[in-house]
Amino acid sequence: MPNAPHRPVLAVRWRAAATLAATSLVGLVAFLWPFLAQPGSGLSHNTDAPWLFVLLIALLAALVVAELSDGGLDAKTVAVLGVLAAAGGALRVLGAGTAGLEPMFFLLVVAGRVLGRGVGFVLGALAVLVGAFLTGGVGPWAPFQMIAAGWVGFGAGCLPRASGRTERVMLAGYGLVVGLLFGLLMNLWFWPFLASGAPASMGFVPGDPVAANLSRYETFYLATSLGWDLPRGVLTAVLVMVAGRPVLASLRRGTRRAAFGASGTFVAGHGTGG
Amino acid sequence: MIRFEDVGVRFDDRREPVLRGVDLRVDEGEMVLVVGSTGSGKSTLLRCVNGLVPHFSGGTLSGRITVDGHDTRTHRPRDLADIVGVVGQDPAAAFVTDTVEEELAYGMESLGVTGDVMRRRVEETLDLLGLADVRQRTLRTLSGGQQQRVAIGGVLAAHPRILVLDEPTSALDPVAAEEVLAALTRLVHDLGLTVLLAEHRLERVVQYADRVVVVENGRVRADLPAVAMATSPVSPPVVDLGRLAGWSPLPLSVRDARRAAGPIRLQLAGRSPVRVIKPVTTSGLDTALLSARALVVNRGRRAVLRGIDLELNPGEIVALMGRNGSGKSTLLAAACGQLPARLGSVRTGGLDPASLKPKQLVRHVGLVPQDPGLLLYGETVAGECRAADADMRAAPGTTRAILAHLAPDVEDDTHPRDLSEGQRLALALAVVLAGKPPLVLLDEPTRGLDYGAKSRLVTSLRLLAAERHGVLVATHDVELVAELADRVVVIADGEVVTDGPTDAVLAGSPAFAPQVAKVMHPQPWLTVADVAAALVLPPPLAG
Amino acid sequence: MTLAIHDYRLPRLLHPAAWWAWAIGLAIAANRTTNPLLLALIVVVAAYVVAARRELGAASPFGAFLRLGLLAITLRVVFQVLLGGGTPGRTVLFTMPEIPLPSGSSGVRLGGPVTLEGVLAATYEGARLAAVLACIGAANTLASPRRLLRYVPATLYEVGTALVVALTYAPQLVDDARRVRVARRLRGHGGRGIRELARLAVPVLDSALERSLNLAASMESRGYGRSVHRDARSRRQATALTLAGLSGVIAGVYGLLDGSPAPLLGLPLLIVGAVAATASLAVGARRDPRSRYRPDPWATPEWLVLGCGAAAGVLVMIAAQRGVPGIVVQTSPATWPILPWAPALGVLLALVPAWLSPLPPLRAAGPVGGLQDVGATS
Repeated sequence: MPNAPHRPVLAVRWRAAATLAATSLVGLVAFLWPFLAQPGSGLSHNTDAPWLFVLLIALLAALVVAELSDGGLDAKTVAVLGVLAAAGGALRVLGAGTAGLEPMFFLLVVAGRVLGRGVGFVLGALAVLVGAFLTGGVGPWAPFQMIAAGWVGFGAGCLPRASGRTERVMLAGYGLVVGLLFGLLMNLWFWPFLASGAPASMGFVPGDPVAANLSRYETFYLATSLGWDLPRGVLTAVLVMVAGRPVLASLRRGTRRAAFGASGTFVAGHGTGG
Repeated sequence: MIRFEDVGVRFDDRREPVLRGVDLRVDEGEMVLVVGSTGSGKSTLLRCVNGLVPHFSGGTLSGRITVDGHDTRTHRPRDLADIVGVVGQDPAAAFVTDTVEEELAYGMESLGVTGDVMRRRVEETLDLLGLADVRQRTLRTLSGGQQQRVAIGGVLAAHPRILVLDEPTSALDPVAAEEVLAALTRLVHDLGLTVLLAEHRLERVVQYADRVVVVENGRVRADLPAVAMATSPVSPPVVDLGRLAGWSPLPLSVRDARRAAGPIRLQLAGRSPVRVIKPVTTSGLDTALLSARALVVNRGRRAVLRGIDLELNPGEIVALMGRNGSGKSTLLAAACGQLPARLGSVRTGGLDPASLKPKQLVRHVGLVPQDPGLLLYGETVAGECRAADADMRAAPGTTRAILAHLAPDVEDDTHPRDLSEGQRLALALAVVLAGKPPLVLLDEPTRGLDYGAKSRLVTSLRLLAAERHGVLVATHDVELVAELADRVVVIADGEVVTDGPTDAVLAGSPAFAPQVAKVMHPQPWLTVADVAAALVLPPPLAG
Repeated sequence: MTLAIHDYRLPRLLHPAAWWAWAIGLAIAANRTTNPLLLALIVVVAAYVVAARRELGAASPFGAFLRLGLLAITLRVVFQVLLGGGTPGRTVLFTMPEIPLPSGSSGVRLGGPVTLEGVLAATYEGARLAAVLACIGAANTLASPRRLLRYVPATLYEVGTALVVALTYAPQLVDDARRVRVARRLRGHGGRGIRELARLAVPVLDSALERSLNLAASMESRGYGRSVHRDARSRRQATALTLAGLSGVIAGVYGLLDGSPAPLLGLPLLIVGAVAATASLAVGARRDPRSRYRPDPWATPEWLVLGCGAAAGVLVMIAAQRGVPGIVVQTSPATWPILPWAPALGVLLALVPAWLSPLPPLRAAGPVGGLQDVGATS
C-alpha cells in the first residue's frame, strides 16, 4: 500500500500554487516586518501596520482557499474536510486552556500526510476557524493563525515518501520543528503590539537596524514564549510517536473506503446473470 | 417509473458480485418493500436507483437502470436529486445545517429553486410531516423520530417523484418508528409517491406494501406480499405462524392473522406453553449477581431512578423494558459503576461497582453498550481479540474462541468496522465475556439486527444463562423478550412498575404483547416455537 | 420583501455585515487615539449597544474580549515595569533591583527606575489595544460569525459548507469522545495519559469518517455540486484579476517596507492590488445557480447602523489628521488627560443604533417566550 496517495485528494494547480506562494510571502512579511522595515519607510511610524496586515492576510487567505477549491470540491472532500476540521477545532478548544499546547497540530500533521498538501492547507485554516467559532469569537489573530496552521498541514503533505517507523519518526521531527516555529512566528506578530511606542529594551524600535531589533526580539522570545513553544513541539512529537500508527491507519482506511475520485465503470451487456 | 434491466454490480474488493441478473420494474405510485438478510445486497440495490452505485461508491455496473426515463449511466446522483430522494438509517449523520427550517431548505438551495417557491415548499413540508411546532429548534435537540422526519422532509422539499428509504426506523424505538411509518404511509397515499423501502422489522410495514422484493444472494424476485412472504428467508412472527399453520392466503398483519386463527385456537384450547421452570436460588445480598435496593441515581440534577428494587440471580435472564427516558440505560450504567448511587445501594456480587477499579470491575460485570463499536479499537478482528485477552488478563485465544462460538463466519483479518451489525455485536460480546464476568448487561442489542442475527444472539444468551451467568437486557423488542427472558421488569418514570415472569407480564398487557400473543389472545402463547412445540410439529425455518 | 423592513420598529435580525461594519468603524476610531478618556468612551458605547441589541439566549463573547483587553493592558504595564529602565521621565515611582544580563543581549536591562511617564505610556498603549478588542467582541456578539457564513461568495461556497458541517459536527464529536471514554472502563482501562488518548482517538476518528461518508452520500443525493458552469471567458478574467491583485499587493508591501519615497509604491498600489483580488473573488461568483433561503434584507436600518459606525471612525480619523489636541496624549510631562469634545461627539454618534435599530426577535418577544429547547429529549 503506498504511503502517499498517487493522486492527491485536492490537486494544487498552478494558479493555486502561485497564490499560495504570494500569500506566504506576504504572510512572512506580515510576521517579519519589524525586521524588514527600513528606517523612514511607511510602516515604521504607522501604528496601523498590524491591522493592515490582518485585513490583507484575511483577504489573501480567502483567495488561496478559493483557488485551491477552484475545480469544485466534491461532496466527499467537503464532508471529510468538515469532519476533520471539527476534530481539529475540538482539539484546539481542548488544548487552549493548558498553556498554549496545541494537540491540533498532531491532527494537521497526520491528515496532511495522508490526504496531501492541498487538503492539509485548507484543513489547517478551517480547523483554526472552527476553534475560533467554538470558543466564541473570531479575533484579529485568526487570519495569521489560519495561514500558519495551513502551512503546517501543507508542509506535512510535502514530506518525502516513507513508511512504518521511519515515517513516524519523520513526522514527529516535523511536528517538533513546526511547534517551535509556530510559536516563534506568532510571537512576532504579537510583539510590536506589546512593545511598540515605548522604547523598552525588549521592545521593537521602529527604524533601528536589523541586528539590534533581532537581539531584542530574541530576548523577548526567550523570556516569554520558549516555555510554551517547547512543550507544544514536544507534545506534537510525542503524540505522533505514540498515537501515530493507529491514527494514520485509520485515516488511510477512511480514505480508501471513500474512494475519492472514483467514478465507477459501466459495462454494457449482461449483468453476469444466468 | 424505475426499471432495472439485467443489472449486475460488482465491487473491486469482493470476489462475488453483489447483484446479478436483476430485472425489476416499479410502477408509479407503488410502495415496494425490499427484504433480505444482511449482506444480501439490499442496500446496494437501493443505492443503484439514484446512481450512488457506481458514481459515488465506485464499482462496476452492468446492464441498464432507468429512472423516470433517465439513465443512471449518464446521470449522476446530483442530477437525479429532483427525481429521487434518499433517506438513510442515521438522520443525524445526514444533516448539513443547524435548524429544522434551514435543513428543509438546504436541498432546494442546491437546486437553485427561487426564494418564494422555497418559502412555500418549506411551509408545506412542515405541515405534511407535522413539524410546524419545532421549526426553529436546533436539530440536535430533537427526538429520533422527529430527526428522521426532518430528514424525510429535507428530501421531500425538492418534490421528488421517488422516495428511497434504507432502513429508516432501525435506529429508532417503537414509538418513533410508528411516527415515521405513519408519516410515510400518509405521504404515499396523499402524494402518490413511489416508495422503495428496506426494513428489518417487517411486521410494521409489510401490510402496507404493494409488492415485496426479496433479495437473496444477489438475486432478486418480486411478488405480491403474500406470495413473497411465503418463501422469503426473513419473515415476521405473524408470517411464520401462518406458514406453520398452513393458512392461505398468508396473513400479513395481526388483524388478518386473528381472523384466520380461529381453528388453531380451538385446537390448542386449554393447553399452555411448556416452560422450563428455573430453580430460584435463595437470594441474599451476597449471592445475588445484581442487587439494587431503593436505588436513586441522578443525571445532572435530575433524579432519573427513584428508588429501584431489583435482584438478579445466577442463571436468570431478565429483560428491562420501558420507554425512552424511563431510566433503563441509567440503571445499566449504575449496575456497572459508571454512575454512582445517590441514595440506596447497588451491588454486584456483594461489591459496589462504582468503587471498583476497572481491572477488577471487568471480573464482575460486563456491559455491551448500545453502540458496540465504542468498545472496539483494533484494526483487525484478530488484533481486537488479542487486545481483549491482554486487557482482561485472560489466556491468549480466549476471546477468539468465544467469538467463534458466537459468530462462526467472522474472518480474522476483517476490520471491525467492516463487520455487519450482528457480527460487531458478537465481537463486542466476546470481548466483554473474555473477562468471565458473572453478570452480563446488554443495552438495546437488537437495534439494526436482522432475524438471523437475532436468533443467534438468543442462542448465545441462553447458553450463558445455562452456564450460570446472569443476563440483564434493556430492550424495546418484545419479540426478543418473548423468546429469551425469564423475567420482565418494566420501568416507568424511574420506578419499577412490573416485575414478574415473562408470560404473565407479556400476555397480560396489550402494549407489550408479542405478535403471536396478540393473534392467539386470550391464550397465553408468546412465540411461534411455543405453538409449534404444542402442535408437535417442527418449527418453521426462520431466517 | 415587505416595506416594513425599512422601519426600525419591526423586530428582526439585522444583516450581520451591518454590525461588523459598525464595529470596524468604531475600531478604526479607537486605533487612532491614545486618550484614555476617549478610549473608555468607546468601550462604554460598544458595551451599551451590545447590552441593548444582542440576541437573548445566545452566547456572549463580549466579556471574554473585555478580559483579553484587560490582560493586554496588564501585560504592557508589567513589561514596562520589568524592562523599562531607561525610559526618560521625571517622576520616579519606585526602583526595581537591577539585574544586568550577559553581554550577548545588547542594551537589555532588567530592573531600574520605574517612572510614572513610562507606566502611563504603557497603559495608554494597552488601552488602545483593549478598545479595539472590545469593538471586535461587540461585533462577535451582535452578529455571530456563523451568520456571516451564509454570505460567502460562490467561489468559497464549498469551503463554507465544510465549515458549516464542521460546526454542526463538533458537538457530536465531543459526545462521541465522552462515550468512548466511558466505554474504556468497561475494558478494564480507566487511566489517563497519552496512550489512553491514542486509544480514544481511533474509534472516534473511525466513526467520524464513516459519518462523513454518509453525509457526503446524502449531500450528493440532494443535489450538492450541480456545477457552476464557468466558461473560459470568466475563467480568464478571474485569472487576470488574481494575478494583478497579487502583484499589486506584493509591490505595495515592498513599497511600504522600503524607505525610498517613490510616490506610486506603497499604500496606493497595495489598495489597488487588494481591490483586484477582491474582484477576482467576486467574478467567479457571477454564475452561481444556487439560491438562498430567506436571506437577511439590507434596508434602511442597515444603512443607518453602518453610517453611524463609519461616521465615528471618519471623524476621529480626521481629528487625528488635523492634530486636534487631546487625540494623542503627551506623557512626558505627566498631565491629566482631557476629553476633546469634537471626537467625543463623533464617538457618541455610534451610540445611535442602540435605539434606532430593530430589536432582535427573541428579545422583542420577552424573556418567557424566548426559551428554546424546552422538552429536549434525553
